[in-house]
Amino acid sequence: MNETLHVSSQFDEDLARLRTHVLQMGGVVETQISAAIEAYSSGEVASVKTIVETDRRINQLERSIDEDCAHIIAQRQPAASDLRLVLGISKIVTDLERTGDEAKKIAKSVRRIYEAGHQPTQYGIGIRHLAEAVLALVRRSLDAFARQDAAQAIEVIRADQDVDLEFKSIIRQLITHMMEDPRTITTSLEIMAISRAIERIGDHAKNICEQVIYVVEGRDIRHDKEAIK
Amino acid sequence: MQRALFYGVLTAAVALPLGYYVEAWMGWVLFYVGLSLHLAMHYRNFSRLERWTRKPVLDASLEGDGDWDRIFRRLYRHEKELLEKIELRERDIGRLIAAVHAMNDGIVLLDGNFYIQFCNKTAERQLGLDSARDRGASIANILRQPEFVAYLGEADFSRPLTLRLDRYFERVLSLYLILYAEDCWLLQVKDITQTDRLDSMRRDFVANVSHELRTPLTVLSGFVETLQEIDVDAESRKHYLQLMGQQSTRMLSIVQDLLTLSSIESAPPPQDEVVDMATLVDKLHRDAEALSAGRHTIHLETEGQGDLLGAESELISAFANLVANAVRYTPNGGTITLSWKVSPAGAEFAVQDTGIGIDAKHIPRLTERFYRVDRGRSRDAGGTGLGLAIVKHSLSRHQATLEVTSKPGEGSRFAAKFPPSRVSGV
Repeated sequence: MNETLHVSSQFDEDLARLRTHVLQMGGVVETQISAAIEAYSSGEVASVKTIVETDRRINQLERSIDEDCAHIIAQRQPAASDLRLVLGISKIVTDLERTGDEAKKIAKSVRRIYEAGHQPTQYGIGIRHLAEAVLALVRRSLDAFARQDAAQAIEVIRADQDVDLEFKSIIRQLITHMMEDPRTITTSLEIMAISRAIERIGDHAKNICEQVIYVVEGRDIRHDKEAIK
Repeated sequence: MQRALFYGVLTAAVALPLGYYVEAWMGWVLFYVGLSLHLAMHYRNFSRLERWTRKPVLDASLEGDGDWDRIFRRLYRHEKELLEKIELRERDIGRLIAAVHAMNDGIVLLDGNFYIQFCNKTAERQLGLDSARDRGASIANILRQPEFVAYLGEADFSRPLTLRLDRYFERVLSLYLILYAEDCWLLQVKDITQTDRLDSMRRDFVANVSHELRTPLTVLSGFVETLQEIDVDAESRKHYLQLMGQQSTRMLSIVQDLLTLSSIESAPPPQDEVVDMATLVDKLHRDAEALSAGRHTIHLETEGQGDLLGAESELISAFANLVANAVRYTPNGGTITLSWKVSPAGAEFAVQDTGIGIDAKHIPRLTERFYRVDRGRSRDAGGTGLGLAIVKHSLSRHQATLEVTSKPGEGSRFAAKFPPSRVSGV
């Protein structure tokens, strides 16, 4: 009796630690996004180097958390909600890593724009707004994961649709710019890449929320438009 | 106790003679019945007590028979005292919690593993916590910023952590971790956004002053060196000296403006001397004409009668700055309109031009010291970067506000609005 109790609480501790690791990785990713946004608005290209270096740390975190997941499955053979948690985490980690990659892409594009002597802010005014909205989505998706809050997860998934709309309007705006003045094409293409990356980050936040719902409720709502209505 | 004993003895005393003198069995029956009644009474009280202990509430109807009543009364009193004590303590605790919630600083109580036990409202707002749902979760799950996680890991809390939040842009927090009750942690969160901004403003100011003074100084010393080391012909020499003169005038005007600014800042509040606005506006009009030298059309509009109450010299310098700006930033052939309007709602001095205009994003920062919309242009026009800072300062000392409306390419309007209390003769 005592033995099993001991084992299961040890197991709970393992799961709690795994969760904390995921959230810490999430914290690093959040910082990466906001650093990339800052670089975009302020033009401080020096921070791009830090962002690129930190991305390596994110990759390591992904690998080590994935390893922990495999260990837990092999050693503890979790069942039901515990198993869902471990499976969910291993997917969330992938999304976080991709998010980190997108942040790195943004930072690099920013560097190219400024090094070419252009000012991105005069073209894509909506970008900062979009990026802040997306950062909020990432933050809320991680909060939903920390609190195991399926209701908030659904809210985030819905909010991602607004982000997609805003992204499309930015693209239209950029196309107008390019038609009016072909000299802006290089910069506009760079900005388009940035907004594309931001929009992708929103999608990753949505994926994370889908996993949260899977972990909490056991429902798989991926590619299911009805589920979020 | 005695009463129970007395009742037993009484039953025996009645039953014994009855059994002895009448029939033995009758005596036994009486004795037996008497004791049973006695037992039944005890049982009834006992079951009452038993029922009460299952749900011990303060109940005045809890009464017993005989000795039991004393027990019940004592229990009642004890319970009542206990409840009063609890109530008192709960009120104290409630007040303490309310006080913690009312604090301006965020307070989060953590256990030895940094799991959240409690947080006050301010902390909820500052850190995005949710006291109902985050209780028992690790603080690092919600406050995920790597700097903070690393700070927790380092376990050296002798110095507070200054955190620029990702969560809410442009918020700066200072976090203190304090050990209490042997192995619990108190996280105190101070919002230092304001002080941080002031610090950076002061740093910027010093950097700006140095930069603004260095530029003309570099030019001056360059020419001085040239003149010392190279023989130049009289004409170039004259040209150099002229340029040097320009630069030293420029430095002089910067220093002059800085002195004006600091004298306005440190001066006592303006006295209520009456400033004759009709004369003042007329003088400003003539000054504008002189400054423009026929390059612009300058109108003057007045409406209503009334004079301002305040320090004349400060008001003149504020208005003259606005007029000079309009002349400076309006291309040749433009129109500048000065207006002075008095109404029961207050008074307004405004300068409208058809100049180059200002982009909306610059307007909130125009009155910052050395803030420039376009660095090169404003220096060519002879500005020191302090004009509007002086205007704003002198106006705010008169409870007046500066309202700027502008459209790039179409012109700007700077209006100084005074409250009725600053207007005489309305």
